[in-house]
Amino acid sequence: MPIYAPTLPPAPDLTLGQPPALVLMRFDFTRLWRQKIGRFFGFTFLLLLLWKVARIYLDHLLHTNQALKPMQDFAKTILTQGAAFQADLLNPASYLLWFLVALVGGGLVARDTLYRVRPLMYAHPVTPRDYLLAKLGFASLLPFLILLPFALLPWLMSLLLAGAQGPVWVTAPLRLLPAMAISSVLMGSLAVGASSMAATPRAGVGWVLGLVLGASTLASMIHGLAGLPAVDALNPILLAETWPQLLVGVERPLVAWLPAVLGTAFHIGLWTWVAARRTRPSEAVI
Amino acid sequence: MEDSLIAFEQLEVRYQAAAVPALKGLTLSLEHGIVGLLGPNGAGKSTLLKALLGLLTPSRGSGTVLGVALGGPESARLRARIGYMPEYDALIEDASAYEQVAFWGELSGLAPEAARDRAHEVLYFVGLDESRYRPVSGYSTGMRQRVKLAQALVHSPELIFLDEPTNGLDPDGRRRMLDLVLRVHAELGTGVILASHLLGDVERVADQLVILDQGEIKAAGSMAGLRKALARRVELRFLDPLDAGQEAGLVELGTVLEARNGLYDLELAETDPAGVFRWAQSRGATLVQVTPRHDRLDEVLLRALHPGRA
Repeated sequence: MPIYAPTLPPAPDLTLGQPPALVLMRFDFTRLWRQKIGRFFGFTFLLLLLWKVARIYLDHLLHTNQALKPMQDFAKTILTQGAAFQADLLNPASYLLWFLVALVGGGLVARDTLYRVRPLMYAHPVTPRDYLLAKLGFASLLPFLILLPFALLPWLMSLLLAGAQGPVWVTAPLRLLPAMAISSVLMGSLAVGASSMAATPRAGVGWVLGLVLGASTLASMIHGLAGLPAVDALNPILLAETWPQLLVGVERPLVAWLPAVLGTAFHIGLWTWVAARRTRPSEAVI
Repeated sequence: MEDSLIAFEQLEVRYQAAAVPALKGLTLSLEHGIVGLLGPNGAGKSTLLKALLGLLTPSRGSGTVLGVALGGPESARLRARIGYMPEYDALIEDASAYEQVAFWGELSGLAPEAARDRAHEVLYFVGLDESRYRPVSGYSTGMRQRVKLAQALVHSPELIFLDEPTNGLDPDGRRRMLDLVLRVHAELGTGVILASHLLGDVERVADQLVILDQGEIKAAGSMAGLRKALARRVELRFLDPLDAGQEAGLVELGTVLEARNGLYDLELAETDPAGVFRWAQSRGATLVQVTPRHDRLDEVLLRALHPGRA
């Protein structure tokens, strides 16, 4: 038998709250943290980060400890200090990151569709723009936050151990952070667009993986058949790997500047448009 | 129009690429109170609620909710003054009642700390004090309905839309939910729009009624007034039995449903019973008793939806 309160006092001030997009984003982060998947990927990315940091420390030892002098020639082959090394700071996590984005981002909009909470959100002071901003923000911020220590921690260690002579350039973060931002928005928009087309979170994961792998396969096929390397810009995995290379100035990037800009703009524009169309209030069934 | 709870004039809402508008030029003004919104599936109830929530822009006409123009730039801010309890299970299954009510409170504009405090208060108000920390996926139907009501009340709205609030509840659960609806209006002073197909629910709590069908308002007004206007059934008793000519002449008044022992059960063609007295005087019959046969609400609804049917 429920016990009812004598009455309900009036609500406090409704003008002191946070912007709806921020509330939605925070809720998605809390939800992710509660899930096992969040802890699993947190652990995996932590291990990858430790490996990166260990390589910097090893490099430091090789350069400072004369006993290890014979190993230096060998070390130089694996610890290059050129542009490719800087860009590579972000790359080993690439496929794993896409997988995480698919698993988490795939359910981002689809879960709201399944539970039918989006119409209820729109019945509150939430606009479709707030909703889209929150979902894109979350899906983009997630890979960005994961990549952030990969860019900053090796740089910090290199700076502390070897100063300007370290393997990581002093200016590396200035180049890597914008590249991470572009790649993260690319991943986020694709995940949100794909998720908006799915009716369940599981289907959303399928949509993201299907779109990413499908676009990659299609680009490879056209490249092979027509001999047009610029078509590789349709491949979102390649695009995400290319941006760090382009911004640190790798001599032969995976995709050239112009196709990379066009391909990225195409993907971000298309999937944001799809998500905006699929999350309009008129799509909401109440 | 500004003083009304809800008012609209010639309100037309048309979905893209639809040949026929979903709402066809509705004109109505509703006072503060509990309003029952009745109508069959596809009548336009949900479209009307969407339009009132500002989610659909009227293609023609105008309207106000709590004095704010429909479809205007203030629509989003207006929704902070409105609560909405959907018909379906719009619950975040992996979150507890407490978490999600606090979340909805924050979305309505409460600060995080205030939203958490408020979630406790409102869940206590709807009778979910003990189980609020459990994920809602394990809740019974009655508990889920109460969570939905709690999220609609968390920000102290001036007006709430309740869409089928007693769906799936047993008689005891229905009674408790309707008691809560009455308390919401009586104690919190909140205006209530109750959309339901359960006529008994509407009859119990509503003081105004709107009957909607095929995008048109078939009848609207206070429950008592509406019943009176639509109650055309009367029972007539005459001093002396009517002769054959007088009995045949009864059709001038309407349809004779039953005749027995000098009692005639009629459905009048007009709602004004004064015509009965004029008829009796002109026919030389002595009328001793006219008893209005107040219809049940379902009869009122059926009559409004199918005016030609006796």
